[in-house]
Amino acid sequence: MLTINNVTKHYDKTEALKGVSITIPGGTCYGLVGPNGAGKSTLIKMITSIIRDYEGKIEFNEKRITDKTKQKLGYVPQDIILEEDISAFSNLQLFGRLYNVKGNSLNQRIKEVLALIGLSERSKDKVSAFSGGMKRRLNIGCALMHNPDLIIMDEPTVGIDPQSRKYIFKMIEDLKTAGKTVIYASHYMEEVEKLCDYVAFLDRGEMIENGAISELLQQYAVPSIYVKGSGIPQDKLEQYGTVSQEEGAFILYTEEALAAMEHIISYCRENRLDVERMELVHPRLEDVFFRLTGSNLRD
Amino acid sequence: MNAIMIVELKKHLQDKGLAFWMLILPILFTILFISVFTTGDNEAVNQEIIQSIVPGYIVMFVFFIMISMVQVFIKDRNKGMTARLASTPLKSYYYLLGKWLPFTFIVIIQIVVLFLFGKVVYDVSLGQPIILLILSLFITFTVTAIGLAMALTVNTENMGIAITQIIALGGAMLSGLWMPLEMMPVFMQTIAHFLPQYWAHQSFQDAMAGTTQVPELLQTLGVLFAIGAAAFIIAIIRYPYFLKRAVK
Repeated sequence: MLTINNVTKHYDKTEALKGVSITIPGGTCYGLVGPNGAGKSTLIKMITSIIRDYEGKIEFNEKRITDKTKQKLGYVPQDIILEEDISAFSNLQLFGRLYNVKGNSLNQRIKEVLALIGLSERSKDKVSAFSGGMKRRLNIGCALMHNPDLIIMDEPTVGIDPQSRKYIFKMIEDLKTAGKTVIYASHYMEEVEKLCDYVAFLDRGEMIENGAISELLQQYAVPSIYVKGSGIPQDKLEQYGTVSQEEGAFILYTEEALAAMEHIISYCRENRLDVERMELVHPRLEDVFFRLTGSNLRD
Repeated sequence: MNAIMIVELKKHLQDKGLAFWMLILPILFTILFISVFTTGDNEAVNQEIIQSIVPGYIVMFVFFIMISMVQVFIKDRNKGMTARLASTPLKSYYYLLGKWLPFTFIVIIQIVVLFLFGKVVYDVSLGQPIILLILSLFITFTVTAIGLAMALTVNTENMGIAITQIIALGGAMLSGLWMPLEMMPVFMQTIAHFLPQYWAHQSFQDAMAGTTQVPELLQTLGVLFAIGAAAFIIAIIRYPYFLKRAVK
């Protein structure tokens, strides 16, 4: 279990994080979500003790993060940080040795990780010859060399092809199955929703909400109906909930979505109005964030 | 620390640019300058010139290792490798040593190869090889310590390269590596006494001729060590700032 207790970080006069507290249960996948500059990477650097001067306390299994504790943490940085002039094998060897993996165990682990990241065939090739997706996978592989209990991933899918993205998702699922704890920072809300059990929303250095994704969806998100057609009056829809417009269509947010749909269909039939498309939209994490902050993540 | 050292050595061995700066260029310069300055008929004078040019260019070109040192540290800092390694159990001073030590190996190899080149091609005298080796170790420490201090202090690669040129070429000129010191103005001869190149060159020449006196050798070693130690202290002082900048 990782406990982040009231941590605050200043960069000169800027407060990058303001009293953030999160408890991350062991064996779960925990999403950290927020727009650029929200403080996700700062928080991750504090967990990995890259940043050490901060207020508050971070503990892993009730112990402060020390060189000994670091042995149990694996960090996947946001940028691809590899030695480009040597092979994938040598990169994995480097990170294995840094975590005191030696001898036969080291070679065995390199083989396992190469298989896990799908680079067994390219292990002897220089990293500089790899595609972006392959580098991303190797970036993750380096963090797994010492078989850590907690894997911290900072935007691991930025700028990669769908195939590699799928591969990375499969790796994360496998890590979860193996009982590892994963912290997954991203501004791709749909990825977090797909992979994680819990989420913390960060905005401007503050944690605005956290908890189990299913509970947050229930608590904050309202189902909506997408309605596109000609002659449908907005005020008619407003009888059932809040309405917004999106590219010539209405989005109706209502707790009673199915009943509202029935009424709208009847109304349109009676008044011979042409309905081009009507769809029930399930609430998404994006809606929760919008509800909490009043802005979309990519605004 | 070994993990970092092994990777650094691997990278350096593959680096053709480093081989050019450290071995090919000094050999070309040595050949060129010896052919220009030994056109006279007097064999004894020619051999004397060769005995000065070979160690002179060795001393001048060992300083070019500083360019690679700056590049390695700045690249690590800018691409995030320094911060990435801070997340591992590697102690920060092992990172420094792991990066620094491979450069000392390279410089020692460079000096040995260039002396062997002088011996094989120009039959230079290596009168006191053990003293030559001791001097090589001390000048290696001095040069790599200055390189380390500079790598942890400068903001950009270009700044590091510019300063290296000033130290290597300016120091070579002022220390009598290009022409006999006696031919230069008195104030420049005085400045030479503050430069490591001067002490290394003089002592290399003495050891090659087999005329090293212990007090003079100790004086040279003392000067080289003092300059190296001062640079090393600057590097240690600068290191926390370098790390702080690397993790931002």
